Amino acid sequence: MSEHDKFRELIEPYALGSLDAGERSELEAHLRAGCSDCAKALDEARWLVAQLAYLAPEAVPSEILKGRLLQQVRADARSGRHSSRIPLWIWGAVAASLLFAFYTAWDARQTQVAIRKANESAAAALEQQKHLRGELALARREAMILTDPKSVKILLPPSASNMPVLEAMWHEKMGLCITGRNIPMPPPNRALQLWLIPKSAGAKPMPSVMLRPEPDGTFMMMVSNPPEGMHNVKALAITEEPAGGSPQPTSPPLWVGTVS
Amino acid sequence: MFLAVLTPTDSREVSPDATLVRGLLQRDVRSFEQLYDRHSRAVYSLVLGILRQAASAEEVVQDVFLLLWRNAGRYDSSRGPFLPWLLTLARNRALDQLRLKSERQRRREDQTDELPPVPHAPDFEHNFDEKRRAERVCALMVSLQPKQKRAIELAYFEGLSHTEIAAALKEPLGTVKSWIRTGLMRLKEGLQGAS
Repeated sequence: MSEHDKFRELIEPYALGSLDAGERSELEAHLRAGCSDCAKALDEARWLVAQLAYLAPEAVPSEILKGRLLQQVRADARSGRHSSRIPLWIWGAVAASLLFAFYTAWDARQTQVAIRKANESAAAALEQQKHLRGELALARREAMILTDPKSVKILLPPSASNMPVLEAMWHEKMGLCITGRNIPMPPPNRALQLWLIPKSAGAKPMPSVMLRPEPDGTFMMMVSNPPEGMHNVKALAITEEPAGGSPQPTSPPLWVGTVS
Repeated sequence: MFLAVLTPTDSREVSPDATLVRGLLQRDVRSFEQLYDRHSRAVYSLVLGILRQAASAEEVVQDVFLLLWRNAGRYDSSRGPFLPWLLTLARNRALDQLRLKSERQRRREDQTDELPPVPHAPDFEHNFDEKRRAERVCALMVSLQPKQKRAIELAYFEGLSHTEIAAALKEPLGTVKSWIRTGLMRLKEGLQGAS
């Protein structure tokens, strides 16, 4: 098998995203070297992989989501917001990479290796930085929800006397945070699901996030964008559901807390 | 049981996706709403298939459509059809979310602005309309060995690598590589062969 044939066999798994790091790097180097046959095959493989979306079970998003999106898009359109959301420091990193590439151009072979390594390190560093920013934002939001005087405290007593009480803090703008300790672990194919019980008569419980407790029994459920505002909700409930989630409760609530 | 779910969409319709995407460049909210109505079920079904949590899936779908609204110029209709590109974007975002959840079981607030290349549709794309292609894809996948099908699903819906799939299925790495490669080729041939 020729070198090219070897790479050609990696194209479909590459489009699928299943190649391990070593093979992925080798194929990317081959593509960067300008193999037009493989580039064309990759374009078509991406289309082929996208067809696997047809395997997903049928599901319909809520009307609330559409309303929320349109509200945001209309606000964007009114403010004339444009598309560039790339922070300046990324442009800085790109400029630095280019300077580095020009400087080392005297030795093409050595430079290729150096640039690849530098790019990999930079990408890893950027990814790590982005990840840490996300973690920091999340932690900050949790702390604000837990400490802001505008947050409303909601106790969720258990239905069984041997279970612990859960505590929720709900901030109208920043979200909902539910915590607890010594929570029994649901069976492997089950998880705990949060429900918002609307005030309006006859309205069905609105499904929200699902979570399994940590192995040590601690429980921290964070809902950045609850599907309904606090003033429209009369209670929070948590049930045990199949791991894939459920559009309506299929078991009696394990915890219920009234929203005052 | 997996079912075909994508909204039937024919690229030869009077109001094709490319026209609507051009509307987004003019900040036309109505074009955005039409694109959402045409494809939100497909995107949501895929994202929910990956994340398995309705609330998380809706957050990712919201991210995807906002990215589309703010970066519509990144879609080049001359390179390929719109829906595969949108689904690739949605899958990437959902897998990002899934990987983060597996680390902390929590959601993140930041966003990556990386958009995928537009997939180039092969010549045989028009062998089927969307609905029939969905049925064909499901039928072809069901015809694979159960573990071969499972290997492809683990890669597509859970973002696992060959090594991780081999560990999950307790099969040799070489077997898993072969399953995935031949399974995808069979899918391609099945879509290519029938007209």
